[in-house]
Amino acid sequence: MKPRQTTPSASALPPKPRNLFPVWLAALLALLWLIVHDLEISFETLAYGVADMAEYFSRYSKPEFSELSRYLELMKITLATALWGTVFALVVAFFLAPLAARNLAPYPLAYRAARELLNFMRAMPDLLLALIFVAALGLGPLPGVLALGVHTAGFLGKFFAESLERVDKGVYEGVTSTGANFPQIVMYAGWPSIQREALGYVLYILDRNVRMASVLGMVGAGGIGLALHDTLRMFNYGQSAALIIVILVTILIIDYASAWLRRRLS
Amino acid sequence: MSIISIKSATKRFPNGFEAIKGITADIAAGSFTVILGPSGAGKSTLLRLMNGLETPTGGSIHITGETLGKSNLRKMRSCVGMVFQQFNLVERLSVVTNVLTGRLAHRSWLGSLFYLFRNEDMEIAQEALARVGLTDKAWNRADKLSGGQQQRVGIARALAQRPKVILADEPVASLDPVSSEEIMMLLREICDRDGITVVVNLHQVDLAKRFADRIIGMNSGRVVFDGTPAELSPLTLQAIYKRDEIKDDTNLNLALAYA
Repeated sequence: MKPRQTTPSASALPPKPRNLFPVWLAALLALLWLIVHDLEISFETLAYGVADMAEYFSRYSKPEFSELSRYLELMKITLATALWGTVFALVVAFFLAPLAARNLAPYPLAYRAARELLNFMRAMPDLLLALIFVAALGLGPLPGVLALGVHTAGFLGKFFAESLERVDKGVYEGVTSTGANFPQIVMYAGWPSIQREALGYVLYILDRNVRMASVLGMVGAGGIGLALHDTLRMFNYGQSAALIIVILVTILIIDYASAWLRRRLS
Repeated sequence: MSIISIKSATKRFPNGFEAIKGITADIAAGSFTVILGPSGAGKSTLLRLMNGLETPTGGSIHITGETLGKSNLRKMRSCVGMVFQQFNLVERLSVVTNVLTGRLAHRSWLGSLFYLFRNEDMEIAQEALARVGLTDKAWNRADKLSGGQQQRVGIARALAQRPKVILADEPVASLDPVSSEEIMMLLREICDRDGITVVVNLHQVDLAKRFADRIIGMNSGRVVFDGTPAELSPLTLQAIYKRDEIKDDTNLNLALAYA
C-alpha cells in the first residue's frame, strides 16, 4: 500500500472573498451617531424624564368602568368601521387586482393604470385620508370607512395581484384554450387558484383595520377613538384608562381570532 | 377535406429562437394524426399555433376554412379543444366545474361572474364525464384525482366544448404505461365514434405506430417525414430523431433498435 501523499499546494483554498460587513456596520454606526448629534437628542433628558413618566402613567392606575356599556357601544362602531372598510377594500381589490397582474392584464395600459392606482392608494396614509374625509363629510364613522377602505384596497390589490401572478401559467392556458375571455379566465382560473391565500390576506387586513380604526377616531372619524380623544383632552385619566383597556382587549381578541382562523385555513 | 391547414407557418420567439421554420400541412377531417419528434423539435409550438395560444411570425393557420386571427380567436378556440401534458386543470375547482369551463366560450361574462350555467351546459358536462368514465367523481376536487383521472377530466373539458378538433400536447408524458394506454385508447375512440379530428404530440414511437392514421415527423422546426405508420422505416426514424451536434450517435441507434 502506498502512503497517502499530502500536497499542501493542491489543497490550498482559493483566496477568501472580501467581506465588507464591518465596513457597512461602521458606516451605519457613524450615521446613527451623526443623527443623534444633529437632532441634539439627549439621553440625559431621557434618564431624568423616567421619573416624570412614571408619575404620569400612575394617573391611569384607577380605570373607571362606570360607563362601560357606552364604551362597548363605541367599540362596536369602531369594529363596524373596520369591517366596512375591509369590505370596501375587498370590492375595489377584486376588480383592480386582475388588471394589475402582469400575466393576466389584457392591455399593457390597463396594467400600468391599475398598478399605479394601487400604488397611489397604498401610499396615502389612512390617517391623512381620514383627515381629508372628515373635512369633506363631517365627523362620524363614514370618513373612517372610506379612509381605511381606500388605503387597504391598495394593499389587498397588490397582494391579490402578486398571488395571481404566481399561479401556474398552465392553469390559465387550460381555461384560455377553451375560448374563455378575460373575466372568465379571472373567475375560473384566477380566483379559485388563490382563494385560500386571498382569504388569509383579507383576515390580516381586517385585523389591521380594527387596530387602525381605534386610532382614526382621534381625528374625528367616530367610534371609540373619538371618545378617548375627548377624555384625554379633559384630563379624565380614569375614563381614558378604561377606554384604553377596552381597546386593548378587543384588539387582542381579534388578533387571536384571526391568527386562529388563518391557521385553520393553511 | 382538410379541417386544419397550415400555410408556410414560422414562429420565432422574442428571445430569437426559431421554433418553427416554415411548415405547410393539411390535416384531414376525422383523422388521427400523431406529430412525432424529439424534445425541442417544435411539436408543442406547432400545436399551440393551431389553438392560437401562439401566433405565427409568418404564414397562417386556417381552421374549417377560416383564418385564425385576433378577431375570431374566441370562436375558433371554442371548436378546437386542447389537452395538456400537465393536465392544466384548476385544482381547487370540482371536476364538473372544470368540465363546465369547456362551455365558457358560449356564455357571457356576466353569468360566469356568478358561476351560473344553463341546464343544457350541465347536460353536456354530464355527458362528457360519462364518456370518460368519471361520473362518480363529479364533485371531487380536481387535485384529489390520480394523474390518469386528471387527464380524463382534461379530455372531458375538451369534449364539453363540442369541438371539431382535439389537440393533445404530450397527453401521456406524465402518466404510467397503463394510464397512457387508456388515454390513447380514449382519444382514438373519440376520433372514431364522434368523428372529431385528433392531433397528438408524442415522443413514444410505439404508441404513434399503433394509434395513428398518419405520422408527421419533426426535427428542429421542420417536417422531415409525413406518411402512414407503415411507411415509418428505421431510416426515417433516424431522420426524425437525429441530433445535429452529434455524429455517429450510438445512443440514438440503441434507442431506435427497441422502438
